Amino acid sequence: MSYLFDPSNWEWLTSGNNLRFLLEGFLVNLEIAAIAIVFSLIFGLLLALARLSRLRPLSVAAGLWVDVWRNLPLIFIILYLALALPAPWRDFYEDNVPGFFPEALQSGRVFAGILGLVLYNSAVIAEIMRAGILSLDRGQGEAAASLGLTYPKQLRYVILPQGLRRMVPATVSQLITLIKDTTLVSIIAIEEVMRHGRILSSGFTAFVGGVEAPVLQVFIFIGLLFVVTNFALSRLSRRLEIRERKRTGGTAGPVGGLEDQVALAVESR
Amino acid sequence: MAELWDVLTEHFSELSSGFWVTVRLVAISFVIAIAVGTLVAALRVAPLKPLNWIGGLFVEVFRNTPLLVLLFISFAGLRRAGVPIDPWVAGTASLGLYTAAYVAEALRSGVFAVGRGQIDASLSLGLDYPRTLRYIVLPQAFRTVLPHLGSLTIAMIKNSAIVGVSLLALPDLLKEARIVQSRTFETNETFFWAAVGYLILTGLATLAFRALEARYAIRR
Repeated sequence: MSYLFDPSNWEWLTSGNNLRFLLEGFLVNLEIAAIAIVFSLIFGLLLALARLSRLRPLSVAAGLWVDVWRNLPLIFIILYLALALPAPWRDFYEDNVPGFFPEALQSGRVFAGILGLVLYNSAVIAEIMRAGILSLDRGQGEAAASLGLTYPKQLRYVILPQGLRRMVPATVSQLITLIKDTTLVSIIAIEEVMRHGRILSSGFTAFVGGVEAPVLQVFIFIGLLFVVTNFALSRLSRRLEIRERKRTGGTAGPVGGLEDQVALAVESR
Repeated sequence: MAELWDVLTEHFSELSSGFWVTVRLVAISFVIAIAVGTLVAALRVAPLKPLNWIGGLFVEVFRNTPLLVLLFISFAGLRRAGVPIDPWVAGTASLGLYTAAYVAEALRSGVFAVGRGQIDASLSLGLDYPRTLRYIVLPQAFRTVLPHLGSLTIAMIKNSAIVGVSLLALPDLLKEARIVQSRTFETNETFFWAAVGYLILTGLATLAFRALEARYAIRR
C-alpha cells in the first residue's frame, strides 16, 4: 500500500510529456473504437435482417456466419487476421485511408485490428438486434402488412424503431466491451495506450533523465481512464433509457445489459 | 487439405497441451468468478449502505477495466512492486475477478426477481439475513439467471485467450497455436485447429448450460 500511494511513484504523471503521451495513446483507442462501432452497427443490422430473412439459404448462411464469429475469441480473430490478411488488402487500406485519420491509424496493421473488431462485434450485435426484433409481438408486423406496407416499409416504420429501441441497453454494454477490447490491438503492434504504457514503464524515461514510471501505477492510471469513460457512457445510456421510457409510456421491458448478451430474450420465451 | 491433417498430427502434442491449459485456466477462473460474484452480489443487496457501495465499486471497477490492463497490473505491476506473483495466480485471478463483476450483476438482477414478499416472509420466520440469502434468495436467483451465467461462461472461455498472449505467457491454446504457426508458417491450418478447440469449448459450455437450464431454470 505504501508503495502504491508513495508520491515518488506517481511523480511520472506530472513530469515531462508523460501524461500527454498516455492520453494520445488513449485517443487512438477511442478513434479505433469509434470506427469499429459505426461499422459493427451497420453490419450487425444487416446480418440480423439477413438472419430473419424469409429466404432460407440467406438466413442459414447468416446464422452460420454469426455463430462462428461470435464464438471465437476476439484476440484470436485479430491475431489471425494480422498474420493471414493478404498484403494487397493491407495496401488497399493504406492507399485509401482518409487523410484526416490520425497517424497511428494510417498503418496497414490497423486494418487487421479494426476488421477483427468489426467481424466479432457485428456478429454479437446482430444477435442482440435479432433478439430485439423477435421480441416484438407478431401482430405488429402483421398489422403493418395488412395496412398495405411493403416489407421494407414494415421494417423501416414499424418493426425496427420498436425492436431496436428495446435493445439499446444491451447494445450499449456491448459497445462498452468493444471500447475495452480496443486494447487488444496492442498485441499486433498498434501504437495505442497499452503500448504507450509499456514504453513509459520500460525504464526508458528514467534513462533519458526523466522520472521512473513504475508499471503498476502506469497501468492503474490506464485502467482508470477506461473506468471513467465507460462508467460515464453507461450512466449516459441509463439516463437516455429512463427519459425514453417516460416518453413512450414505458411498457417495453429492456433485455438485460450483460457482456455478449445475446438472444436470451428469445430463448427464454 | 492434406496439410490440414498434417499440421494436426505433427503438432498434436503442442495443440492438445494448449487446449488443456485453457481448460484448466477456465475451470479455476470459473470457480473464482462464481464465488466472488456471489459474495459481491450479496454485498450489493445487503441492507447496509456501505456494503452496497463496496459491492458497487467492485463491479464498476472490474467491469469497466480492460482484461488486458488487469493482467498487466496483476502480473508485471505486482512483480515490479516486489510481490512474487505466479503467472497462474495472476491469470486466474484477473479472469476470475473480471467475470465476477458480470456474475454479480446477473445475480443481483436475479435477486430482484425473487421478490420482496419471499424475503419478508423468510425474515419474519426468524431466519437472519445471511440465511435468508443462503436458503431462500440465492438458490432461486441462480436458477433465474442460469441463461445469463451460460453466456458469461462462454465469454470467459473466449476471454481466456487474452491471458495467453499477454505478458504472462501461459502456454494456452492460442499461445501454442502461435508457437506452431511461427515454426511452420502454416497460418490457416494452425489457426483452423485452434478455432476448432475454442468452438469445442464454447459448444460444450452451451450444451452443459442448456442441460442445466432444462433441469433447473425458472422462467419468469
